[in-house]
Amino acid sequence: MATPKFKVGAFQARGGVDQGGLPVLRQYLRLIVIFLTVVLGFMSRPAFPAGDAEKGEEIYAQRCTLCHGEEGDGMGPAAERLNPPPRDFTMAQYKIRTTAFEEIVPVDSDLVRMIHDGMPSTAMPGWGDVLTEQDINDLVAFLKTLAGLEEEEPGQVIDYGAQVPISPESIETGRKLFHQDDRCSECHGQAGKGDAVKKLKDDSGYRTWPRNLTKPWTFRGSNDPRDIFTRITTGIAGTQMPSFDDPASDGRLSIEQRWNIANYVNSLAKTEKIVRPENTVIRATRLAGPVPVTPDDPQWQEAPSSTFLLVPQLIAAERFFTPSNDTITVRALYNQDEIGFHVEWDDRTRSIPGDRAAKKVSEPGLGEDAVAIQLPVKIPTGPEKPYFLHGDSRHPVNLWSWRSGSTTEDPSVALVTARGIADKIVRDASTVGLQGRGSYHEGTWQVVLRRPLTTVGSAEDLQFVEGAFIPVAFSAWDGSNGERGSAHTLTTWYWLLLKPEPGNKPWLFAGFAFVLILLLEIWWARTAMRRVRS
Amino acid sequence: MPKIPRLAQLVLVIGGIYAGFWLIFDLLLGQPIPASLMRMYMFFVVTGVLMVFTATEESTRQLVDPIRALVEEPGRRLMRNVVFFVVPGLAAVAVFLQMQPSDEAPLELRSIHPAPPSSAKIFGKRYDLMSLENPYRHLEKDDPEQFRELVTDGGEVYIRNCQYCHGDKLDGKGPYAQGLNPVPLNFQDIGTIAQLQESFLFWRIATGGPGLPKEATPWISSMPAWQEFLSEEQIWQVILYLYDYTGHQPRSWGHE
Ligand code: HEC
Ligand code: HEC
Ligand code: HEC
Repeated sequence: MATPKFKVGAFQARGGVDQGGLPVLRQYLRLIVIFLTVVLGFMSRPAFPAGDAEKGEEIYAQRCTLCHGEEGDGMGPAAERLNPPPRDFTMAQYKIRTTAFEEIVPVDSDLVRMIHDGMPSTAMPGWGDVLTEQDINDLVAFLKTLAGLEEEEPGQVIDYGAQVPISPESIETGRKLFHQDDRCSECHGQAGKGDAVKKLKDDSGYRTWPRNLTKPWTFRGSNDPRDIFTRITTGIAGTQMPSFDDPASDGRLSIEQRWNIANYVNSLAKTEKIVRPENTVIRATRLAGPVPVTPDDPQWQEAPSSTFLLVPQLIAAERFFTPSNDTITVRALYNQDEIGFHVEWDDRTRSIPGDRAAKKVSEPGLGEDAVAIQLPVKIPTGPEKPYFLHGDSRHPVNLWSWRSGSTTEDPSVALVTARGIADKIVRDASTVGLQGRGSYHEGTWQVVLRRPLTTVGSAEDLQFVEGAFIPVAFSAWDGSNGERGSAHTLTTWYWLLLKPEPGNKPWLFAGFAFVLILLLEIWWARTAMRRVRS
Repeated sequence: MPKIPRLAQLVLVIGGIYAGFWLIFDLLLGQPIPASLMRMYMFFVVTGVLMVFTATEESTRQLVDPIRALVEEPGRRLMRNVVFFVVPGLAAVAVFLQMQPSDEAPLELRSIHPAPPSSAKIFGKRYDLMSLENPYRHLEKDDPEQFRELVTDGGEVYIRNCQYCHGDKLDGKGPYAQGLNPVPLNFQDIGTIAQLQESFLFWRIATGGPGLPKEATPWISSMPAWQEFLSEEQIWQVILYLYDYTGHQPRSWGHE
């Protein structure tokens, strides 16, 4: 995965994963180191030593062919299992460049940056940790020969004019421009989540998705307003992301308008959806009243949330390589009788089999969207847990799932006991009182699944208890992305904790400790004084 | 220079070690030590430091004298009463905090390189892991050209199957690595394949997470059992690639 590029407030995240700890302090340390490196770098050598294409070819053969192909045509052996696919360098199309729309030649520093930092949310890694600056310059020289650009003068860098600083007014102006005549929302959706109503393909026919602008850690560039300004100005070559500075188009925007939109896009970041690796526990909050039934009940927002990365199922049965869902956010509430989970994930498409509009944006074979919660049938007493992929023969798991329904069928809830990916028994959810409800709004699914804490006469179901750490895992299916059966995304085991009220026990024991120690001290002092006197 | 009292020295040393832990792990490495582990470390630190400070009778006396004076000298009554009140107070607070239900995830310890079985059933055959060798390794000397081809084939197997987790730089930082626990291993690190024999890798790759013994927590390892997806030849080829790309040498029986 690529190096950090995403900045919000005082922390940096990498691939949507917050690096945790004491972000602000470490941020400063890092800034100092970067500053020193830059200063020393400037003092010691010219900014861009020329690259040697022949040396670049050698490095390319060793490091890049498996993805970008021996001929540089993007047809390496990995291509069919990657989305987006590795770039075809013979086409001279670079997504992240600073030269104007009508130029084809990038400036070298654009390519240097992408090779050094990598492209988040794609297989393209950053090479800055293994290649030297000279290596990267050699590579750039070689890549240009693949597109016949070696003799070309670098293109003209776009005109940035005067940057409009971020302010509520600028963001508001940007918001209006974003939505005016569906300018950006046409593809990026009303809330910016990329929940397109259009099926987009890039120039080579691969499926592309408009970026989810609320998750800036997935940007190939970054969400710095200057970077966003550049993308809006140049467009994204080879994809349907247009240029808004194309002189030939009547959609052309002024420099100031583009800065305002950039500031608005920058403000869309949803930082609570960043994955914090140290946050491995879902803390269910105890309620006095009933557990809310509907996903949009405001009570859910009061429960602490945990966000986990969704990983494609690469491990068993039919494997799956090109996911579209990337994270899942979970909350839990309970009372003396029942527990409810609230799961939320961004999904660009609402997949309704039978629906014509849904079929239009779907990959072949439209299925339902779905989510599942996995829990062990027995809470482990030692370190041993069920195998994280649907349990094993000695350690069964419960799968509570919810499916989004079709034009002819209502959404449904299912209960499964699994002893491994190939051994699943579907049971009647209503016998244990498992219920669910879902809602889709502007590119986000929210689903509530509820069940009584305990079930009677069933050895096949988890009995929840307060204070125990219960393993829990999640799976999700995007029915428009060909996800069904074992083709889906999943998380590893995390923890669920029903945090009991501490009651008055701590007070009692604290008081006891105080009195005990005080008595001992008095006893000690008295014997000591007696000894001194005698 | 005024001498720091021994008692204060004791407190300073223990506090310093604690701060050192925090500075190194929390602040610089960004990997805080779990509280339960920290308690254990600090228990050893406190006992160790106490042992040093009470090594001779003289040093013990220096440590204990001020405490004894506090209790015995009538002139220090006020001070004594304050201390006698503060100490149980602190203890009560500690007990109170300790009694709060913990919401810190339980620690999961696992052995990374468990002892392999002496033989294993893979591809429906029995392999003696003690004598098993990579059938292609000898080509490195005997037929370098064919060897390069096999390495390239291994690279293809790797990029199509392994890079998602172990990363295309073989550094354990594949696109999905952060979503897995335990994390995929870093083959560039000298602590992984550089320490291992090719037969061990063959067993690990073919049987994956589910093939691990209990002490290596097979239930959480996401490493797939590749005998389901790859042929025996492909596994040997990908092993050639792992060593070739990282520049490590496999351990061999001859070296021991
Ligand atoms: C694991 C596969 C993989 C490897 C190895 C890899 N790349 Fe990429 N690369 C990609 C993918 C995928 C993309 C396209 C990302 C996108 O379109 O969003 C890409 C895109 C690029 C781009 C286009 C940047 C832009 O602005 O559009 C450049 C340049 C590039 N790679 C250079 C390299 C070089 C040089 C190497 C070797 C040092 C390399 N890549 C190795 C997968 C890879
Ligand atoms: C016709 C559809 C379409 C329209 C209209 C459109 N976009 Fe995009 N946009 C895309 C697609 C597709 C991508 C992803 C391209 C790719 O595959 O890398 C994208 C990507 C982006 C990115 C991500 C850049 C990065 O670094 O990854 C930003 C920011 C963005 N668009 C902003 C905008 C703004 C602002 C507007 C309106 C001024 C807009 N887009 C209009 C289709 C569109
Ligand atoms: C879904 C993620 C995933 C994929 C795909 C994957 N691995 Fe792993 N691998 C892991 C994890 C996690 C570990 C560490 C846990 C363990 O030891 O089982 C691991 C461990 C290993 C080890 C043990 C190294 C050591 O030092 O003990 C080897 C060897 C290995 N993987 C090779 C491969 C090869 C070769 C492939 C492709 C054919 C591959 N892996 C694909 C996740 C993966």
